[in-house]
Amino acid sequence: MKHQFLSRYVVTSVFVITICIATISVCSTIKESEKSMHMREFVPNEIYGWRALGEVEIYDRKTIFDYIDGAGEIYLAYGFRKVMVFRFIKASDPTILVELFDMGSPEDAFGVFSHAREGEEQGIGQGSEYRGGLLCFWKGNFFVCIFSERETPAAKKAVFDLAEKIAEKIEVTGAKPKLLDYLPAEGLLNQSVRYFHLHASLNYHYFVASQNILKLNQQTEAVLARYQPGGGFLLCVRYQNSRRAKEAFDSFLGAYIPEEKESGIAQTENGKWVAAKLERVFVMVIFDAPTKAYAQALMEAFEDKLSESTSEEGRSL
Amino acid sequence: MKDREKTITRRDFLRGATCATLAVTLGLFPEEEKTVELPAKTKVVLIRDPDAIDAKGRINAKVIQQMLDEATTTLFDKEDPVESWKLLVKPKDVVGIKSNVWGPLLTPKEVEQAIKGRIMDAGVPEKKIDIDDRGVLRNRIFRNSTALINVRPLRTHAWSGVGGCIKNYIMFVPRPEKYHGNSCADLGAIWNLPRVKGKTRLNVLVLLQPLFYGIGRHHFDPTYTWDYKGILVGTDPVALDAVGLRLFQAKRLAYFGEERPLKPPAHHIVFADTKHKVGTSDLRKIELVKLGWKEGILI
Repeated sequence: MKHQFLSRYVVTSVFVITICIATISVCSTIKESEKSMHMREFVPNEIYGWRALGEVEIYDRKTIFDYIDGAGEIYLAYGFRKVMVFRFIKASDPTILVELFDMGSPEDAFGVFSHAREGEEQGIGQGSEYRGGLLCFWKGNFFVCIFSERETPAAKKAVFDLAEKIAEKIEVTGAKPKLLDYLPAEGLLNQSVRYFHLHASLNYHYFVASQNILKLNQQTEAVLARYQPGGGFLLCVRYQNSRRAKEAFDSFLGAYIPEEKESGIAQTENGKWVAAKLERVFVMVIFDAPTKAYAQALMEAFEDKLSESTSEEGRSL
Repeated sequence: MKDREKTITRRDFLRGATCATLAVTLGLFPEEEKTVELPAKTKVVLIRDPDAIDAKGRINAKVIQQMLDEATTTLFDKEDPVESWKLLVKPKDVVGIKSNVWGPLLTPKEVEQAIKGRIMDAGVPEKKIDIDDRGVLRNRIFRNSTALINVRPLRTHAWSGVGGCIKNYIMFVPRPEKYHGNSCADLGAIWNLPRVKGKTRLNVLVLLQPLFYGIGRHHFDPTYTWDYKGILVGTDPVALDAVGLRLFQAKRLAYFGEERPLKPPAHHIVFADTKHKVGTSDLRKIELVKLGWKEGILI
């Protein structure tokens, strides 16, 4: 009797769980498809005689390599969700490609934009640049790239106007990563600011070590920026908690400046200086400072800004 | 602890304690190690010809054949190009020519055909030779191959720093993304997989119009290619890539007027040497033989 009751209980439970999973799955599929429809509406069907092909390609975290091959890693290093690819064609004119990336958060939309940024601001969306026929901008959760297969005056105009129209359609803006607020303004090269999470991204911009000695992960936030004069780099990483920050700090000191673990400041083999400091959940490192005094001054300026900004935020970090 | 032992930091490159090649990619200049005794050098042949490409950008097949012949005869100290190819392949071999079809900068057909012609001259029947890139895993000739010839153009790459000889074998794995970690650091491991290990007889790095700088994820802009009109030939893929890297450093310095380290650093070249033992990346251990046109040679 007891056995029968248990069997019935198990069967009922499995049935209920299955229904729940199926419902969640259907709901999330509907939600995803609604979102795709919504994204699709950001892109107009026509611009100066270029018409969008009906079929829109969509790639997600699993299929991104089918579209971008190795460079797909750039997006996977952030919270990339999917990209929609629109092709605009016009007889005898170059094809124009629009890539609309849903990066999952404004911080990561900014992050992926900052990854390759080198050019001048173009005033589109919340940040933009144009280089070699490629226009990129970010707004809200989205990162958008538009380019023509060949650069002609007409295609360039279409690329810029398409960007303006898409940026207008994306109504919601988003905040840049908070971490950027802590960067001292004096001497900062704005175009050099990179925001990321992973060790591979750090090494992409500034090779530190073959192993992940700063213990970066998907949850850590990092900002790297270059300062003039002197050309020093400032790296700040925010960890999930102070214990993790301490572990990363110790790991960095042990691997990178073992001879100056106590002071956290050392002259490197190229005659420049490296300085590291731990502050609650933050690890700050100055690389390639031209002098010891420069390293100390930049670190101090950063600490002041950090203290000022975090007290304004009114949070205990 | 084990990880720490393996860690190579930027400071190691500054010290010159490890191979100089990554330092080149980082824009660093380590001190020469004066007391190190170097082993026998890996030979790499660079040949250039001003007529390899005409004013309209067309590749001259005849000149390419001459360049390839001169490079291989120099590489193997032979008078006759066919004799040098007979050192590389035997009539019983099944030969795959691993090419590259990346749209904006693919392996030119003229180079592929020059190689194929010489393999046939060396006695391999045409039916036992094929040229492929993305289909190598399904290609019958490649699946049964006993010899491989690796040929592709040199270019910068958005996720590995450069695309050269080492990276060209990524199509020999079913899931290339498995090798993307840490900016493709372990591409050299592919060369030790049973399906390719020990099969590569010759590497040809095409330097006719290299791409020395890339923008965005599509990465190609003809502004950053130039008519170098050269090919680099050798048996060591790592050595060829290391020389290619040195060429890019020189070109970027000349073009931008300042050091522009590759992003990301092409550290897979160093790891192909130090970790995977595929070849040598240390420029001091590479004998670079330069033939032909010298104007604008840069290295």
